[in-house]
Amino acid sequence: MSQHSRYSGLKAGALAVPTIAALVLTGCSAPTGSTSSGGSQEFSLSFATSNTIESPFQVLGEKYMEANPNVKITFNPQPNDSYDQTLRTQLQAGNASDVVVTSPGSGTGRSILPLVQAGFLEPLDDAAKELLPEGSEALFGTDGKVYGQAPEITVVGLVANETAAKAAGISEFPADFSALEEQCKKLASSGKSFIALAGSAAPNTGLMAMSLAASRVYAEDPKWNEKRAAKETTFADSDGWKSSLEAVVTLNEAGCFQKGAAGAGFDAITKGLASGTSVAGFIPGPSWKQLKSAAADSEFNVRALPAEGSGQSFVYASANYAFSINAASKNKDAAKAFLDWAAEPEQTKAFAEIDGALPVTGLDSYDFDAGAYKNVGGLIKDGKYGPLPNSQWPNSAVYDALATGVQGLITGQKNPDQVLQAMDAAWGQ
Amino acid sequence: MTATMQPKSEAAEVPRRGRRTPGAGQETRPRGRGLQFGHWWWALPGITLVIAIHYVATGIGGFFAFTNWTGIGAFEVTGWQNFEAIFKDPTKLGALSNTLFLAFGSVFLGNVAGLIIALGLNRVLKTRYILRTLFFMPVVLSPLATAYIWKYIFDFDGPINAFLMSIGAEDLAKPWLADPQWAIWTVLVVLVWGSTGFAMVIFMAGLAGVPVEVEEAAAIDGANLWQRFRNVTLPAIRPAVAIATTLGIVQGLRVFDPIMALTGGGPAGATETLATQVYKQAFALGNFGGGAALALVLAVIILFFAVIQQRLTRSNPED
Repeated sequence: MSQHSRYSGLKAGALAVPTIAALVLTGCSAPTGSTSSGGSQEFSLSFATSNTIESPFQVLGEKYMEANPNVKITFNPQPNDSYDQTLRTQLQAGNASDVVVTSPGSGTGRSILPLVQAGFLEPLDDAAKELLPEGSEALFGTDGKVYGQAPEITVVGLVANETAAKAAGISEFPADFSALEEQCKKLASSGKSFIALAGSAAPNTGLMAMSLAASRVYAEDPKWNEKRAAKETTFADSDGWKSSLEAVVTLNEAGCFQKGAAGAGFDAITKGLASGTSVAGFIPGPSWKQLKSAAADSEFNVRALPAEGSGQSFVYASANYAFSINAASKNKDAAKAFLDWAAEPEQTKAFAEIDGALPVTGLDSYDFDAGAYKNVGGLIKDGKYGPLPNSQWPNSAVYDALATGVQGLITGQKNPDQVLQAMDAAWGQ
Repeated sequence: MTATMQPKSEAAEVPRRGRRTPGAGQETRPRGRGLQFGHWWWALPGITLVIAIHYVATGIGGFFAFTNWTGIGAFEVTGWQNFEAIFKDPTKLGALSNTLFLAFGSVFLGNVAGLIIALGLNRVLKTRYILRTLFFMPVVLSPLATAYIWKYIFDFDGPINAFLMSIGAEDLAKPWLADPQWAIWTVLVVLVWGSTGFAMVIFMAGLAGVPVEVEEAAAIDGANLWQRFRNVTLPAIRPAVAIATTLGIVQGLRVFDPIMALTGGGPAGATETLATQVYKQAFALGNFGGGAALALVLAVIILFFAVIQQRLTRSNPED
């Protein structure tokens, strides 16, 4: 081979490498969904997963494809702990899925309101408006437009292993907070615990504190968050919030948590409730179904955390997730057709059953006595429920301050006043 | 300077790359117009990529440190506000303190242990090759994977507490990684375990260059073990000490994955470092501007200590 031809080859190689790389990269970044001229429709769907159980979002998508053979949905499941960041990065980069699962309000990284403000979500039609849970309109959009479609109602309180409770000698679930304290002490003396806590997992400690605030803050004043936003009150000035955090210390001192709870992860809750060494955990209501699959012999029910007084019971029940359409989607028609189908009563009912939640429509006629929600049915029918408080908080730093603060209360690093002040500081960020 | 000290005859025989040698035109291959090896512009793609990916990206990140960007949408330039917030926030100052403690603690303990192991496995011992592999193994394993093993070891239901209970010391059993006093020390143990093998390899490379004759001469002169180490071995491996400590400090200052896996920065920020705070602020809390500012502070700290350390351990003052 001559020098000339060798250099020509090198030149060609030098040009070919970046060209091929550019082509490969272009191919990689091409949108996954497209509408073909043959009438078939494609779109992609992103959702968070946190366990090996099939996601209800995927099951619903598969049902849609069965009913509509000309439609192809590309599923993009993401790990729950990195979902918020992945979603934001993809939206920012312009390569997010056509349909994405979001959360109402503004308290998390996947929340609808900041994504709307940044121009990433597409307004939805009347089908989505009709599914808006009462009182949560402001969490789903602005200026009368709706950007999220609620798929179900999630109850958040305690999930209890009723079989384990009976086996541990609890004939009647504690009716108020002092009865709960007594039960905790009795169980602790027998080597068991009333509550299984993932003390090292901030979402769990935060959920516990919010559950304690349900009866102490939001039962008396459901509009407390609006007052906080209007600067009419603060966390540090709120007797209800102070009482809620003091209750964390009380629960800890009464031995309500399993040994080593401060360093435990979510597996401690699954293990404790499934094996019956703990009676209840602060986890979202639909978890009863997943626990049931791990411990088929046990009966799991969703309950409200016993309140200080018998008349103050309050539970969180709201649409914690929503379907949204990516504003940059090239398959909006296909995505909207799917959402319209998902908004039909038959589908909302099916979705709730798959996930073990309550349907987003028809709660007035829902038969609570037949399932895991029989103990909270009365509260929901009486209207003693509201959305999770953090969905109305301005940013995720407030919830983080609460969650890490509760961890500090359990380990003795912080006192309630310090935690409340940190929450107020985070509110202004 | 080197060129002026070079003997004239030798300098004349070694032409600079890419230049014609006077009088050698007949034998030198004519320079073609195509690509030739050994030219500086061969490095251009690499230089371009490094500038584009590393320095430009770092520069953009540095710019965001002066904004209130949340990671999405529009942003405003806020000047030094993010930096003021860092130095006014006790949590961030605690993270800085933890970062320095873990970096210097792991460097000191890891290097001392690495040097002792390297000295022990340098010569004589027949099983030294197997032992070297065993001590080096933590370095090649994934820090995230090993952190989960340590997490199990330090767990409340883990083997340490099981051992304490088996010997009747129940009172000493505790959730090690969730205990405000002990959590940072348990993290330090894991970091030292991971860095010792790395230091050992560097010291072994340094010890390979120490002449046996010099050590033997010192022994014949009556120097004891400590004196031989202090006056012969240590000065000879000074470059290895410089490399091991510099890399150790840089690695220690930016430590991230073992802490995220072990404690997540908890309990209540007790093991939070600047690197975990950068991640938390930028990616978990959507405060990208604050996270970028923290990253910039961390970069400046790493640069500061790397320069200081290089100055202290350089073998030639004229370097």
